[in-house]
Amino acid sequence: MQAATELPALRADLQHSVGGRAIAAELRRCGADSATTVPDFVQLSLDACLREPDSGIALTTCANENQAVCAAAGLYFGGRHPVAIMQNQGLYNCLNSLRTIGLDGRVPLLLLVGQFGREFANLGQDPRQSERRMVRLLEPVLDAMEIPSFRLEGPADFGNIARAWDTAWQESRATVLIVGHYTLWD
Amino acid sequence: MSVMAIDACRAVNDVRGDSIVVATMGALNALDSLGGDYPLMVGCVPLMGGSGALGLGLALARPERKVIVLDGDSSLLMELGVLSTIADAAPANYIHVVFANGVQFGGSSNTPIPGRGEADFVAIAKGAGFRHVRRAETMEEFEALLTEAMSAPGPFFCELAVKAPAARLSALQPQPEIAGGRFPRLGDEGRRIREVLSTNG
Repeated sequence: MQAATELPALRADLQHSVGGRAIAAELRRCGADSATTVPDFVQLSLDACLREPDSGIALTTCANENQAVCAAAGLYFGGRHPVAIMQNQGLYNCLNSLRTIGLDGRVPLLLLVGQFGREFANLGQDPRQSERRMVRLLEPVLDAMEIPSFRLEGPADFGNIARAWDTAWQESRATVLIVGHYTLWD
Repeated sequence: MSVMAIDACRAVNDVRGDSIVVATMGALNALDSLGGDYPLMVGCVPLMGGSGALGLGLALARPERKVIVLDGDSSLLMELGVLSTIADAAPANYIHVVFANGVQFGGSSNTPIPGRGEADFVAIAKGAGFRHVRRAETMEEFEALLTEAMSAPGPFFCELAVKAPAARLSALQPQPEIAGGRFPRLGDEGRRIREVLSTNG
């Protein structure tokens, strides 16, 4: 009789993670039916889930984040309910597109933005206190852009997915869900 | 050989049927000057480089309709990667026309763009994976291409040689104020498309 495989203990840092499959299910429950993305190292398990044929969310991969924002706007104008998925440096790359589409254009668009490069020592701490500019600038930049944001720092923040979605659609504007750590391969 | 943008836009209007039109730069100015109020047209302003991806999203959302993107060469140069993004998604209902006049602010300052109008957009689109690519230098060629693109499965790419109007800005006629209505235009016209499509299918 073969001994049961013993699973390794979950890495301590992953207590700050939320499952990619769980995020996809919550997005579907909110009403998302399509997504645009420049793949994010932080949200790789979510990306893999959305690439499954029966994911229920049609995924379009873009060459850069400006395209992801603009294609999402086109999907919305065509009657769909898209989200855009990218990482923090991608958000920095597409500020003008976000200004046109998600602010002046009042397109309801939820963006899931991963905190790429976040040091593990900052997990559970305020990301504005990160040693890394890539991480700590994200929220101040969003504040300056007048874009509301919500944190997904672990399972306790799961409700922020729906809160961010509702903010985007009720206020008809771009809204960001900041994914603080690697999504779990659930 | 080259054509005027307004003549090209008149030809697009003649064949568009119930297609969705995304326009930017000189093509948008030309469409505006032709007048009319087409409810399935969205001006991609002020957002140079955004029209291709905007049209892609519309084409994916509405595969039953043609989506015609009227782009500028300086605009497309900002987002050349979008051609790979479009070719990868490969919507059969997508038509991309780039108005190539070699300048930015055509009719205002005619400021040269990188490459000075020598970029080969047909070769670039072909290399990016577009199924059908063509170049047109006369109205007859463009009209024939439009007819083909409207009936054949795409995605379809066309580089149209366009003559820029004479520059009008000078010390005696400096730049005017940009009207405030330009900023919400994209969202307002896009929402109208969404509303029309939700009503009419």
